[in-house]
Amino acid sequence: MTTSNSKQTNMRSVTKNTLLKVVILGDGGVGKSCLMNRFVSNQFDEHSFHTIGVEFLNKDVDIDGETYTLQIWDTAGQERFKTLRTPFYRGSDICMLTYGVDDKSSFKNIQMWKNEFLYYADIKEGTQFPFIVIGNKSDVVPEEREVPLLEMETWCNDNSITSYIETSAKNASNVQEAFKMAVQHWLRLESRADKNDPVIDDTVDLTKKHSDSRSSCCIGAGDE
Amino acid sequence: MQSTEETSRKPENMWKDVYKKLQKQKSSDFQNYRIQQVDGGFFEKFGSLLREHAELTAAREAVEKRRVVEAFAQAVPARHDDDDSENDRPLPTVESGDEASLSSDSEVEGDKDRTELIATAWNIDELYCEVLYEILHNVGCDVALEVGQTALFSYAQDAFKMPNDKHHHFMELAEKKEAPELLVNVEVIEAKDLKPKDSNGLSDPFVTLYLATNTTHRYNTSVKTMTLDPVWEEHFALPIAENNKQDTLCLEVWDFDPAESVKEKLGKIFDVKGVKGMRKLMKEIAVTATSGQHENELIGRAQIPLGTIPASGMTMWYSLDKKNKVTRQGVLKVRIAFSSEKNNQVAKQEYRHMLRMILMHELEVSKVAPHWWCGSFSPPGDQLLVQHVVQSGIPAVEALLCQYCVYAFVHQSHALSLTLFANSLEKLAKPMRTDGVSEEDCKLFWDATKRLLPSCFAVVRKIRKKNCNEKTTMKQVTEVLKILNHIHSLEPPANVDLFPATSYPWATSADCADRSIPSTLNDAVVRGASDWLDYILENNERPDESDVSRLQSLIQIIQLVRSDLQKAIEFYDKLFQETVNFQYAKALYVYYQVKLSTMCEPAVIEICKNLKRLNYNGTSNNENAPDPLSEGTSLFELYLAIQRFATLGQGLCPADYDSFHIKNFHQWFHGGVAQWLDIAVYKALQRIEKAVELDTLTPVDNTVKYSSSAVDTLTIFYQVKIFWEQLNWPDVESCYTFIAKIIDDICRCSVFYADKMAERVDGLGDHSDIYEKRFEVTTEWCLAINNIDYVRETLEPFTKDLGMEDIIEKISELKSPVEAQRCQHTLENVIANAIDTVRNKIVELLETVVSKMAPAMKRLLIEGAELCNQDSNSIDRLMMYVDNNLSTLNRELNEENFDRTLEIVWDMLAGTLKEIIQSNLDKRRPPSFFANLRKTLNLMLGSFKNPDDYSSCDVLKKTENLLKVNGLETADLIHQVHLDLAEDFRKAKDSPFGEISVRVKFEENTLTVEVINARNLIGMDSNGSCDSFVRVHLLPEHKFSGIDKPKTKTHNKTQFPLYDEKFVIKLNPEQRQLEDGLILFSVKDKDLLGYNNQYIGEAFLSFSDIEDTVQSVETLSQIHLHLGRPTEKFMASDGIRALEHRQGDKLSKDFIKRFKQRMGT
Repeated sequence: MTTSNSKQTNMRSVTKNTLLKVVILGDGGVGKSCLMNRFVSNQFDEHSFHTIGVEFLNKDVDIDGETYTLQIWDTAGQERFKTLRTPFYRGSDICMLTYGVDDKSSFKNIQMWKNEFLYYADIKEGTQFPFIVIGNKSDVVPEEREVPLLEMETWCNDNSITSYIETSAKNASNVQEAFKMAVQHWLRLESRADKNDPVIDDTVDLTKKHSDSRSSCCIGAGDE
Repeated sequence: MQSTEETSRKPENMWKDVYKKLQKQKSSDFQNYRIQQVDGGFFEKFGSLLREHAELTAAREAVEKRRVVEAFAQAVPARHDDDDSENDRPLPTVESGDEASLSSDSEVEGDKDRTELIATAWNIDELYCEVLYEILHNVGCDVALEVGQTALFSYAQDAFKMPNDKHHHFMELAEKKEAPELLVNVEVIEAKDLKPKDSNGLSDPFVTLYLATNTTHRYNTSVKTMTLDPVWEEHFALPIAENNKQDTLCLEVWDFDPAESVKEKLGKIFDVKGVKGMRKLMKEIAVTATSGQHENELIGRAQIPLGTIPASGMTMWYSLDKKNKVTRQGVLKVRIAFSSEKNNQVAKQEYRHMLRMILMHELEVSKVAPHWWCGSFSPPGDQLLVQHVVQSGIPAVEALLCQYCVYAFVHQSHALSLTLFANSLEKLAKPMRTDGVSEEDCKLFWDATKRLLPSCFAVVRKIRKKNCNEKTTMKQVTEVLKILNHIHSLEPPANVDLFPATSYPWATSADCADRSIPSTLNDAVVRGASDWLDYILENNERPDESDVSRLQSLIQIIQLVRSDLQKAIEFYDKLFQETVNFQYAKALYVYYQVKLSTMCEPAVIEICKNLKRLNYNGTSNNENAPDPLSEGTSLFELYLAIQRFATLGQGLCPADYDSFHIKNFHQWFHGGVAQWLDIAVYKALQRIEKAVELDTLTPVDNTVKYSSSAVDTLTIFYQVKIFWEQLNWPDVESCYTFIAKIIDDICRCSVFYADKMAERVDGLGDHSDIYEKRFEVTTEWCLAINNIDYVRETLEPFTKDLGMEDIIEKISELKSPVEAQRCQHTLENVIANAIDTVRNKIVELLETVVSKMAPAMKRLLIEGAELCNQDSNSIDRLMMYVDNNLSTLNRELNEENFDRTLEIVWDMLAGTLKEIIQSNLDKRRPPSFFANLRKTLNLMLGSFKNPDDYSSCDVLKKTENLLKVNGLETADLIHQVHLDLAEDFRKAKDSPFGEISVRVKFEENTLTVEVINARNLIGMDSNGSCDSFVRVHLLPEHKFSGIDKPKTKTHNKTQFPLYDEKFVIKLNPEQRQLEDGLILFSVKDKDLLGYNNQYIGEAFLSFSDIEDTVQSVETLSQIHLHLGRPTEKFMASDGIRALEHRQGDKLSKDFIKRFKQRMGT
């Protein structure tokens, strides 16, 4: 039965992680790809390229002993890529709104990004969605900083966004924390949702809809 | 485990074959059809069948086009067809502008036409007399035979509309007439500085000439309207009586009917067009001419005595004067010469006049349809003309030229066959080129050509709207092109304006000076296309102003344009290219592409911008299809329509295509692509749902183990692929992103399919009767699993099929290899994720199956444990259940999935067993319970085709061990613990407690043990040393009861004691034969009081490792054993824990208590 043993190597283990789709948005050049690369492979490239359309990477994170697989969609911030990136918003679990602390206009555009996301991700109005605001490039010298932390906090409070953080993909500060924060935020909302919708499930039931909708890599609104 | 899944083993092939296969299968066809019904054949329109659809569309387009063309032709009949109609019916708005300019066009021409007629008419009498004369003096006998003289006379009278009395009068004259011996040939060339006579400050001058001796025999030039500097260039031959060399030539310049300008006069009869109008006008003028009842006013006259003219002739300016007027009335230029016979120029002028009279007459009499007359006169007419040519000695080429001129002239009012002109030009081209024609004739030729050309271009312009069959149009176009080609081969004189602006109001070339045959032809072609397109636009009905209707109307327009181009290519292009070297289809394309671009681009961009996001509010209610859907679909149709149009252009104008605006048409649609992808997913999900619903969960045929919905789902993927191919998006960067999206979407579809499949089989195989609820693995379940797997297997080949590699390569070229690699990683990640996710789904489903089987298996185990030794058909029944289910799974699942199932079964069993063991340990069940349970388990595992398989499952193995341990009686269990401990020690490489050396042998039933020494014993006392001795135990203890446990002497204060003691132990044969017998050497530290000896360490030697020999023990080699102690980990082993559970068992309790001491402190 060596054949069957060899097959087991490509057989996925029976235990499955929760899959979460994360979308990173923000103006071109604020460091979205750097953030993702730092998070996923702990690398930083000073001279990285513009992202073409979208980039996609997987990364597992452990939170409270549970493993979550983050499926991270990094998007191209340039306007010309707009029609290319928006189709990927649908089915997202987490949205990271990114700006550069040295770039005021990128901060101002956060609102636009949030709206764009809400529109194309087809989020029902009034529902809570785990947004996290990330001020990248916290490593810049104080003279180059254009967005004070306080200003960002104020904006977040005004927009009922409870998760925000400043990061530096360059010196790796707060990058892991940012993603973990995002997942925790998602968890909070999820557990709240579960409480509202208790599932009595003492029999072994295949059609565990709730876990299903979270465990596919390409979940869409089409399966509800 | 034999897999019969050969067909599904090769996903690539399978993938390729799916569609074909599906097409072949009638039942699936039907199924497919039913699935299509979900969305009204959405993909078939959107995707693969679009190609076939396109052919249908083409056919429909053809019909549609014909319809439009017919409607167009009816609405706008060719101008020439209208000649006979009396009333001016309003022209359709589209054409009105053009038509209006065309008619004004012809008015201009008509003016000249008619004024010249006047001139002709004024010489009618002379000409008539000449004709009669010629009839009387017909030459050649051939003609006379054909048409009798009388017939000719009456024909001439009819043609010239001569009243009888005049006819007789002229007859007399003609009969009397002798050939003149001398003629004075006068060419009236021009006049200058004439006195104005009309209210507008101008005059309508004409010249009357006569000889003073014969004042009634007058000759008139034509009337030149509204000019004071008229140019006539007309020829006259006046016979001179023999004795009248002293005669005087009188030239009088008159203003024509000053009370009423020619224009006004003509205006009165203008509403009567064509031949009829001409006739009427001519009649009127003829009356005026003969009766002299006109109110012309003399401008001035000149009198030239013939004696003043030299024999060689002369050209002279004469001043004009008037009685009682001192002032000069202007000057007149004439050329005068003598000749003995009729001047050639005069003869030709007469010939032209005759030709016209006779042609007009014949056209009227025979009611020849426009475009029909092709050069054949009736016999009398023909004879008259031939006679004139012969009698006047006009050379053939010149006669031909006269005909050409007259025909061109008449053609303006009554269209003649273009073949006539093509043929004439064919004959004239050579003499014209080789200067075989006089300057005068040359001028006439180009003048006629100028008149002819507009009608030629009109044919080109109206190529689409002839209300007759293609053949006629083709014929006409062919002739036109021949004509144009001939004319183009000739060089017009510098002073000839071949393209007067007034005749070409439609020409688009800015400067008419630069106009040439090719440029004007191009203009005509474009104008024709433009008129046609305008008409189409005007008549393109939209039911409403919605974007969908807007798109549909654009699609229709493009289709019409395409079929027009198609027709151009099919019918005309070759003709144009071969005849005039003109790229007809290309010219059209260049025009259309600009028009379509300007038409479509803003509309598309606007519509894309306003596209509404598609809402997935469920996949089942397709009743009220959302508007964005039809909008997106229409948009895509338009995209394809333009794409096809663009492709046509690529083939038609390969060199220029890159400069065309239409080339980048895809960019207009950029905003729509996301929508299309969304639509594709939306539709795919709908179809998948339907496919699952329709699936009967029976294999599609007996060679495969999947059912219809799997095939249908692949077909849907295939449709998406076709959609992608159809899209054929040229921009690489976008392409890459779209592919990422498509892959992501396909994954979503696969997961959706898996979910739907799971839902579909949920509840199948559940049975309940009064005794029990149970679940039977059914073929349906297995098919469902296979289906999902089948779909999963296609994911990778599918993505390859999308052309991923190609795109990555292009990105590498366009950007950089690094970026290309990143893109590739992204795509690979997405695919890997997709495959993993679907695989997860399969595992989930398998887990469900197993979990449904679990209760039955659990019961089997428990009942087996309880009732093992009794005959029980309950166990048989359960065994059968497991056996049946497993063999179903084995039979129906493919190898991989069956292996997965087994894995899950092992896991499940391990879990279940653990649970049973724990709860029964808690219940203090006797070891026999666990032993029975283990037996049952092995029985059950035996029913798996390959019971060794579970060895791969560590959990199950461990659990089985646990069961084994718990099933042992305490004494056996204790020995098992020792065996385990011995195994544990054996593994140790090193020991902190020290080492012991021994020699051991069997001889028959006697065991000889020599304890030699120990080394590096661990310090036990406060001084760091120890007082050690060794005790020898034989295990299992209960098998050796009554046997001594010898021990050595104690060796004080040394960590390297030399014991050197030999023990001989007699055993009975049974003891000697124990397979798993052990010797335990326990090394202890002697306590002062001897009560509390501490363990230094222990070592085991297995009976099976001991030599059976007759040699003395001293000759054997030493055995060195590491000393060990039970570790904490060992204390947690299954055996120890099982013993610990046996609280009520004294043996067990004591053992544990003592065993703990052996751990040392």
